[in-house]
Amino acid sequence: MGRLGSALTSAVAIGFGLLTLLGLLAGGFFGTIANLFIQITVITAAAAVLIGIANLLGVHFGRIRERRGGWGYSIILLLSTIGVLLLYILERANVLTGTPAPTTILLESVQVAIESALAGLVLFALVYGALRLLRRKVSASGLLFTLVLLVLLAGALPLANATPLALIRDWLLAVPVSAGARGILLGIALATVVTGMRVLIGQDRSYRE
Amino acid sequence: MSGEQIGLWAGFVFTLMIFSYVLGDNILYRIAVYVFVGLAAGYITIVTVESVLLPWIRGTLLSPAAGIGGIVVGIIPLLLGLLLLFKTSPRLGRAGNIAIAFIIGVGTAVALVGAVSGTLLPLAAATGSAVRVDVINGFLLALGVISTLTYFWYLARRKPDGTTQRSLLIRTVGALGQFFIIVTLGALYSGAILTSLTIFSERIGFIVARITGG
Repeated sequence: MGRLGSALTSAVAIGFGLLTLLGLLAGGFFGTIANLFIQITVITAAAAVLIGIANLLGVHFGRIRERRGGWGYSIILLLSTIGVLLLYILERANVLTGTPAPTTILLESVQVAIESALAGLVLFALVYGALRLLRRKVSASGLLFTLVLLVLLAGALPLANATPLALIRDWLLAVPVSAGARGILLGIALATVVTGMRVLIGQDRSYRE
Repeated sequence: MSGEQIGLWAGFVFTLMIFSYVLGDNILYRIAVYVFVGLAAGYITIVTVESVLLPWIRGTLLSPAAGIGGIVVGIIPLLLGLLLLFKTSPRLGRAGNIAIAFIIGVGTAVALVGAVSGTLLPLAAATGSAVRVDVINGFLLALGVISTLTYFWYLARRKPDGTTQRSLLIRTVGALGQFFIIVTLGALYSGAILTSLTIFSERIGFIVARITGG
């Protein structure tokens, strides 16, 4: 049964993968089939997202039930989720009305505020990381990294417009940075092609674990 | 006080709670983070159901125009989703492998076509044509791309003593590629600093505006 199940999963991955590839390349009838497969994948992925959220809530519910460390925070998390869902249901039932809708206010004022504050907090981590790099043993790579970092930061100052620093910054971004980024992106694309081919010819079967 | 005003003040309080992390990990920061995760879970659920699942069910299972074929097609992803549910069980986890295999198979084909038509061909063509537009900078660009790719060249010859070594040409070009990679990483780091600085200053402006009533 185990071997049969493994063969079936491999057949599903390879078969549907090759059919989708054929549809995306050839179009026509196979293209329609490929689009259907992609739609089914999106819906299945959406179901997976809901399962993930149910699992998250289940884990926190278990933490509250067993009074494990940090269970108070779990109550806050569950209340926040239930609160949003309740607001949404009340809106749909036309019990809560108003423009903008309460869920929109909650999203724009609270969710976005917390997100922005967390993104702003990254500044401290980045600056601290850069300082730690400077404190480490001096190396050619570290020096080059710091030099580029400082030139680009100084070049971004409004005062630096049309000065040699701004020109150096523009050249750095247009030539070496662009070249490095293209090289890295091409490397990622090549690795994607190799890994994809390995999956489609059945060499990589990590989905059976 | 209107709902919007309450929302703005709540945003103000949560921003301060998040920034309290500068003083060290504390209860206010943790509360704000757990609220954030809880709200995000709620919103993701709403968007997934409202924008993905319900339109699919309405368009297939509940559509009067859908025949038996439409209903079967409508049920398939829901069945696959149900199979994924088994992945949470150690005993029945294998049943979910079919759904995972389907997602990986289709996803691989999409990624393959996307990588070739969206990245490989356009970037290679753009790099090649850059030489025609500006000879010196175009040549440097092409050299940078080739040397960066060479830096990730891991093929090496095994020597009689068991150690491996890449050829001199690959090592030299790879060293040049390392230069381009470091410059790129420095630029990305400065971009991240500038972005977070912009967001941070916007948040500080928001806090000041709330306090001064602006």
